[in-house]
Amino acid sequence: MPTEQYAYEMSIRETLPLMGVEIVDLPGFSCCGEPLKSINQMLTLHMSARNLSIADREGIDLLVPCPMCHLALSEAKNILDGNGEMKKRINAKLREEGLEYIGKQRLFHIIDLVHDEIGLDTIRERVKKTLPDLNMAAHYGCHILRPSEMGRPVDSENPRKMEAILLSLGVRSEDYAEKLDCCGGPLLPNHPETSLAKTGQKLHAVSEQGFDGMVLACPWCQKMFDSKQTKAAESVGSRAHVPVLYLTQLMGLAFGIDDAKLGLNLNLSPVDDLGLKGEVE
Amino acid sequence: MMKKRDHMSITDMTSMAEAQSDLRSEINQRLERLILGVSDYCYQCAKCTSGCESHKLLELEPHQIVALLKRGLIDEMVNSEIIWTCMSCFKCKERCPQKVPPVDILFALKNLAVLTGKQVPGDYTQMLQSVMSIGYIQDRQTVPTRSGDTVKREDLGLPVLSGLQDPNGFQNIITASAVEKI
Repeated sequence: MPTEQYAYEMSIRETLPLMGVEIVDLPGFSCCGEPLKSINQMLTLHMSARNLSIADREGIDLLVPCPMCHLALSEAKNILDGNGEMKKRINAKLREEGLEYIGKQRLFHIIDLVHDEIGLDTIRERVKKTLPDLNMAAHYGCHILRPSEMGRPVDSENPRKMEAILLSLGVRSEDYAEKLDCCGGPLLPNHPETSLAKTGQKLHAVSEQGFDGMVLACPWCQKMFDSKQTKAAESVGSRAHVPVLYLTQLMGLAFGIDDAKLGLNLNLSPVDDLGLKGEVE
Repeated sequence: MMKKRDHMSITDMTSMAEAQSDLRSEINQRLERLILGVSDYCYQCAKCTSGCESHKLLELEPHQIVALLKRGLIDEMVNSEIIWTCMSCFKCKERCPQKVPPVDILFALKNLAVLTGKQVPGDYTQMLQSVMSIGYIQDRQTVPTRSGDTVKREDLGLPVLSGLQDPNGFQNIITASAVEKI
């Protein structure tokens, strides 16, 4: 996410401070390891534990805006808190870097941070601009939905928090049958064509059902639905014209923040069609 | 990025540290745990397959994976391309009435394939090399804008990425983990 999906980071850094959240960057943070889980789960566990232990050292809670990272860190916490033997093994490795996993930190994704901690009343107070009448398809991203046994930030089968946040911004979000479906992103390293076909199928479904666009909160999904939209649609023999943006970008626009500061120019899908820019009323 | 390790494959990394006999015993233990621990509870309702994201596109059948595991046909699966078709959406694990997690079985089988020196598909090797050298799956990218320009991270007013504080130390410690089996 920090090496490519800059618009997510920009819009997070613009919006959260307005709602009383202080963002602190942790030195030495690295990849969570989840993209390499197919190669070696021990490596994934070590890398996640390493990041958690940096948060332990700083005595700070973690905002993890990427669902895949959020799952990796949740799973590592779960394993280390429940398995003393594994905690010993991992801590022996971490000590070589002067780190130790304690497990005091809490993990948040954007959606639960905004919905559960900041609260919808605060969101409504911050809204400065009436957005156009839009019906946006909510896409959560597999890894904040499932598996529920890891304590996911939203309900696995009937998530409602993103819709509630959107409603407090004045944006409608109707249900659709494909809401819980995968973007196809995890297959990108080794089955790129199939991966794009999966993305294309969901884009097609969203267009067919008359949505004005898609809102999401996952950098991998954004990469698939936004950056690769043209290719994805072609791969299923259709043409897509679906504006796709981050939840935090839409929040920022409703709060009256300049679209350049939210990285809106980095969205490659036709977001101009939504009529979101313009003066604050 | 990736100057030092361009020549190194995953197979090198996974075979350099420990003798093959140790590797084999670890794998066998892992398999026993999988077979005893999960597959006996599966009654082949195929709910996992009916919701599988990879089923229609790549013909993955998670209930068959569990059935093959139950029958001990490990090598057949480790040698098969099919284990690399999972999208890790976790629907199978979420919806199994018996709490059998096909997605976790597939992760284990893929790990075993790597450990036994099978060819690793796609861009995984590249991602691993990048993580080992800079801590991220890729270095900071220059990205396109909708108006046809390209921009870098530093053009956007974002803070400098701290990166690894001791890249060499990190590399040594992480390499040790990369050859260990969970």
